Amino acid sequence: MSLIDEDQALIASALKGSAYAWEKLVKRYELKIYNHGLRLTGNSSDAMDLMQEVFLGVYRNLHRFRGDAKFSSWIFRIAHNKAVDMNRRKRLMTSSPKFSTDDEGDEFEKFPGKKELEPEYRLGNIELNVRVLKMLSELSSDQRSIVELKVFQSLTFDEIAELQDISTNTAKTRFYSALKKLKVVSEKQNVLS
Amino acid sequence: MSCPKTHYLLQEYFSENLSAVARDELDRHLTDCVHCNAQLESVLLAQQDLQQWQEQRVPHWDRHLELFRQEHRIDRPVSRFWLSWQWLPTAASLAMLCVLLFNVNVISNDSGFSISFVGSSASGSNLNAQLADFEQAQRLEMQQLVARVEGRQDSTNVQLLQAVMEQAQQSTADSFDQMYAYFEQQRLLDLQDMRAGYEQLVDSDYETIRSLQQLVNYVGYQSDIR
Ligand SMILES: [Zn+2]
Repeated sequence: MSLIDEDQALIASALKGSAYAWEKLVKRYELKIYNHGLRLTGNSSDAMDLMQEVFLGVYRNLHRFRGDAKFSSWIFRIAHNKAVDMNRRKRLMTSSPKFSTDDEGDEFEKFPGKKELEPEYRLGNIELNVRVLKMLSELSSDQRSIVELKVFQSLTFDEIAELQDISTNTAKTRFYSALKKLKVVSEKQNVLS
Repeated sequence: MSCPKTHYLLQEYFSENLSAVARDELDRHLTDCVHCNAQLESVLLAQQDLQQWQEQRVPHWDRHLELFRQEHRIDRPVSRFWLSWQWLPTAASLAMLCVLLFNVNVISNDSGFSISFVGSSASGSNLNAQLADFEQAQRLEMQQLVARVEGRQDSTNVQLLQAVMEQAQQSTADSFDQMYAYFEQQRLLDLQDMRAGYEQLVDSDYETIRSLQQLVNYVGYQSDIR
């Protein structure tokens, strides 16, 4: 049975009430969604929140899933929407209406990156991940999101454009300017290390 | 030294649906133009840096199973209960109890077999003693079960500790507290899971014992009246 068929079978059983099938379905995607969240938010507690919300959304909408799309695309669409929601909430919580400095445009303000990266044991023994998060922290949330979708989720520019409701050209430009910024950060890191 | 085409060309370089002709043209320019080539190299290096990301383990969470079970409770008990082994001892003890309670006698005589149910106040008190034994045995079995589950829990905790230790190899002594906190949190979560499991188990078992006791009391009461 192919992975897609297996997803379908698990979804059908879960809809009939099999907790086992539901758990198996979650287990298949939680690693991807959690790591996706880590890269987007830069910290594990937000990544955890995001993942829980994504799977709650999946659970609530499972009956709406039509087999015409891949389940993995569907779940990442939900993940994208939840991340946008989370961004909006954070922005509401962190910016006071009077002194709002909206020109920055980066909503994941608490992205640790520079100074307050998490204790290493929570990021595994993974120096490389710390490095990646530091690089991503230099990007605006729009840029970070597009890099995530293109580099880590291997979406096409057309798919990204549709997901983010922008033109394909904007997606391309945004991605390239993000890469240029990352190039500068990466070179700086190489000099330092 | 710079090239006016760099921005446009490199932006297109990452496009998936570039026509074959356009791709050829791009490749040709990239081999000819030193500036574009260098720029592409460094941008690709940055992308490579990102790709060194290592997937990180997901911390313990309940996968919304509690919610799932709550919302699917209606059709759960039937299938779960009868599919599991738990009904077997209950059924056996119930059958035995019937034989005991009604003191079944099978008498063979000229006209064939006859089954009689004999009950007296004397056998009633005898019965209570037997039931006390039965309850004792059940309790013992329960304790063994609990001990077994606890043993298993300990071994998973050890595994967890090992996993955490491995992860923390590079961290220094002052991160030990944080590691301990992490471990403690995982342990508490496991304990919560386990406790919920116990409670269910204990509830169902004591329910059986209690209803048996009520039955005995009732039978005793009936024979007292007679
Ligand atoms: Zn050029």
